[in-house]
Order: sequence, then structure tokens, then C-alpha cells
Amino acid sequence: MNLASYRKKSPWILHYNAGGCNGCDIEILACLGPKYDIERFGMINTGNPKQSDILLVTGPVTKRSRERLVEIYAQMPEPKVVVSCGACACTGGVFRGMYNCEGGVDQYIPVDVYVCGCGTRPEQIIDGVVQALGILEQKTKAMEVSVRLQKEPLKEEGQINRRNIADQIKPALS
Amino acid sequence: MGRQYEIPIGAQHISLLEPLHFKFTTENEKIVATEANVYYVHRGIEQACCSKFKFRQVSFVVGRVCGLCSISHTTAYSQVAEKLLKIEIPLRAKYLRMLVIELDRIHSHLLCLSHVAENSGFEALFMKTMQYREFSMELLEAVCGNRIQYDFSIVGGVARDLKPQVAQSILERLKKFIPQLDELMDIYKNNWTLSLKNKGAGAITKEDAMRLNVVGPFARAAGLAIDVRNETEDLLPWKEVGFEMITETSGDVYARNMVRLRELYVSIRIIENIINGLPESALITETKAFPDGEATVRLEAPRGELFYYAKGNKTQILERLKIKAPTFSNVAAMAEAFTGNEYGSAPAIIASYDPCLSCTAR
Ligand code: SF4
Repeated sequence: MNLASYRKKSPWILHYNAGGCNGCDIEILACLGPKYDIERFGMINTGNPKQSDILLVTGPVTKRSRERLVEIYAQMPEPKVVVSCGACACTGGVFRGMYNCEGGVDQYIPVDVYVCGCGTRPEQIIDGVVQALGILEQKTKAMEVSVRLQKEPLKEEGQINRRNIADQIKPALS
Repeated sequence: MGRQYEIPIGAQHISLLEPLHFKFTTENEKIVATEANVYYVHRGIEQACCSKFKFRQVSFVVGRVCGLCSISHTTAYSQVAEKLLKIEIPLRAKYLRMLVIELDRIHSHLLCLSHVAENSGFEALFMKTMQYREFSMELLEAVCGNRIQYDFSIVGGVARDLKPQVAQSILERLKKFIPQLDELMDIYKNNWTLSLKNKGAGAITKEDAMRLNVVGPFARAAGLAIDVRNETEDLLPWKEVGFEMITETSGDVYARNMVRLRELYVSIRIIENIINGLPESALITETKAFPDGEATVRLEAPRGELFYYAKGNKTQILERLKIKAPTFSNVAAMAEAFTGNEYGSAPAIIASYDPCLSCTAR
């Protein structure tokens, strides 16, 4: 078994509140509780960005928390997925246009899954996180593809065969 | 004197629900000084309420100040707006507001307790408390239509009526909840492992609490009997529905747990009294007036005294709105109570303050 297959079975969640009202945060906490129990998907909440695969963000990104948000995102290893929870994380919601807020998470970091609602229901959060799992799998595959490209010659037209590219260039140079 | 180290905790940390930054100066694992930094989530709600939103919309906006006690914010704002409009709301609306505030208090206190258990390293108790808390969320959904962000109080009354079946189910669920609460009480009170982490940690004396202006369960755990429900009668008739003051003396994490748990019994009794004696009347007082003059309102939110000030000038838009949230009063004492504790118990102490920073920073 390699790392990728473990990752699929047990993605770790990182949760950051970028200025929301706590409403969505307590719903994320309720998801961790016994009734909704996202641990059955192998997810646990971790506090360390370096170990996590899914970033759950709530809140409309206040001016003071945006550096922390970008920093946390940058510290997470690839592949990573960002889920924005709640109306105010998706678009700014009711806080849009207030002087210390930005309209949503996606102005700063790329967001993969948008979960709507103010506040989001735990069922929606679970749905969003499970979608994120699919995206995480795709991203993992995409990362592997680039390695494979260099190993195998490509058959299709119009693509560069990287393996023999040196041989082709060499005569031209000499 | 040993060497001193500075250890920061936050703004993002597993034991914190919200961005909050503490900088501890420690000496041999003991905390000797603390610096608190709480304004990460300032959004500018007050300014927006005085410029962008009409005064009837503001009650929905201030609910988004805090998701844990949104009903306290909406109710306090509605009350202050009603004072400015000079209207009296129907009796049934008052009782329904009290009902939802108490249900909200149950869910908020249980959340805080579970958080203390988790941060003390007692994961199983966290799960248990969260499981028992779920009933209050379901009841709130049945009464208000949403699990959080109820938007139940509006200017002039309440938005929804309580259906008889829902009232019946509340009574049934509460009856089921009481043995569960006894069980929780037993664990939080007598569990030896938990008491090692909680007893004596984060203690604050009554004099310090008085001097530093502490409110809410934090103050009541130190023996300071302050509760707005005990003081004001004009807006919501708390004494009529069986309010009772709860205090402890030791002022540590354990005492705060006990205050919260014992307040749950009071809340349950209040809810039962409200449902059994709910008066019949209209739900909302209509008016075409505009807010004028100045008014203040105090209300007991789950974390302590919530204060609203508003000033109107006979237009749709308020001239000034000021919110002072309970945690704001507690920040000074929060930094103080760490002194002399082990660094290892800091997360549990933070959780036991039950800080609500989105209230504080607005
Ligand atoms: S979406 Fe609504 S409930 Fe969620 S954090 Fe934002 S304001 Fe709060």
C-alpha cells in the first residue's frame, strides 16, 4: 500500500474560522459528534496544517485573518482540497460589503467545494466533504500522471514525447 | 528564577473554535504572564447596522454576530428597538422569547462542557456530551425552523408560533433528558481523572472577579451573584417562570462546570413552566413608527450580560448601535486567571471560559 491509498481512506480535516459567526463552526463540531459522525469516513479533526488534506473554512475572511488563512493553505501539503462552509464563506453573505471583510474565501485561495446555507446543516457539510473526497482522489491521480508522462512515450497526436526529446534536440543543436 | 519561554497558542489551534491568540510566558511549565489578543474576527457589524441596513433588518444582521447565542442578540436588539419605537410587545411573544433563550442556553452550556472535556483529554466524555446535546438542537429546529441562526425575535414580537405538538414534544424530550443530565453531572462531579485536570485550575478569587468586572458563569463560579435575569423584570418576567441564582465558591474550572450543569436544571424548569403556563395572545405588535431617542437594554446571554445601546433619529436607519458582548468584559480576567497554572492545562482553562470572540470583536 502506498500513501495515496491511505489518503483516500482517511483524509484529515483542518478547520479554520476566518471571521464567521461560529454558527457553522459548531455545526462542524456537531459533525464530529456521535449523531453525524464523520469519523466513519475516516476523517478526524487535526490542528496541524502539515498533516491535513481537507481545509474547512468558515467566515467571510476578515482583513486580519486573511494572512493566516493564506499561510495555513500554503503550509498544507499537496494534494489539498478547500471546502468553504456557509453562505458567508462562499460569497460574503450578510457581511458582504462591511468595511473589514472581503467577499468570501475564494478571493484568496482556490475553493473546490462550496457548501451553502446560513448556517449550514451537518448533512450539507458531510455532503460537501464527501464531494471533496472525490476531488482529492482526482487531484492525487493528476499528480501521479505528470510522473508517468515522463516515463512512458505518448501515443496520441500533438503531444510531446518527453522520453526521446533529448535525442531529437541533440542533432539540431550540434 | 528559571529561564522564561514564550509560547504562543493560536490563532489557529486544535483546541480553539475561533481565532484567538494567547501568548504565555512560562517558567518551568508554569505560566507567569499572559497576553490575550482577541480581535481577529472584527467585521464591522455596528457600522453596517448604522448605514447599510434598515432598522427592521438589523435584527437579522445582529443574529450573525454570534452563532451560539444568536437568539440573545436578536432579542436584545428587538427589545432596544421596541424601546425606541415605544411599543409594548404581546405577552405570548415575551414567553416564547424566554423559551428559546433557555433552549439556546442548554445547547450552549452543553457545548462548552463538552469542549472542556475534550480539551482536558477526555474524548469519550466529549462524545457523550455532544450526543446528549443533539436533542436541544432538534428542539430548536422544531421551534424556530433552523438549527442555528434562529431569527426568532423580530422587532415587535416573534416570527413563529409554538405549535401544541411541538410543545408536547419539548416536554417529553426534557423528561428524557433529565436522567442523562444526572449522568453527566455525576461524571463531571466525581470522575477522578477529570478532577485532576479541572480542580484548582484557572482559579480566580471573588475579589479579583469583582475587580476585573467578570460576568456570567465565570463570575458565578467565583461566588459573585450577578445575573441579569435576577435584576431586570421590565422586559422579560424571569422570576415569574422560576429563575434561581446558582453560585459556586472555588472559581476554578470545576466550579464553572458545576455552575453550567446546575444552571441546566434551572433552564429545564423554566422551559417547563413556560410551556405549562403559556398565555394566549397575538404574536406581534404592528407599528408604523420610526425609532427615535436613545435606549439601552441588558440581557443575560449564556455567557453573561449582553448590553445594547441604540440611538434613532426618526429615519429607517439607526444613528448608532453599540453592542457590548459578555466575553468582552471577561478578557482581562481570562488573562489573569492563567497565572500560576501549568501550561498543559491551558487548553482546558480556555475552553472553560467559554470565550465567544465573534461576539467580542463583532
Ligand atoms: S454562514 Fe451564517 S451561520 Fe455560518 S458562519 Fe456565516 S453567518 Fe454564521
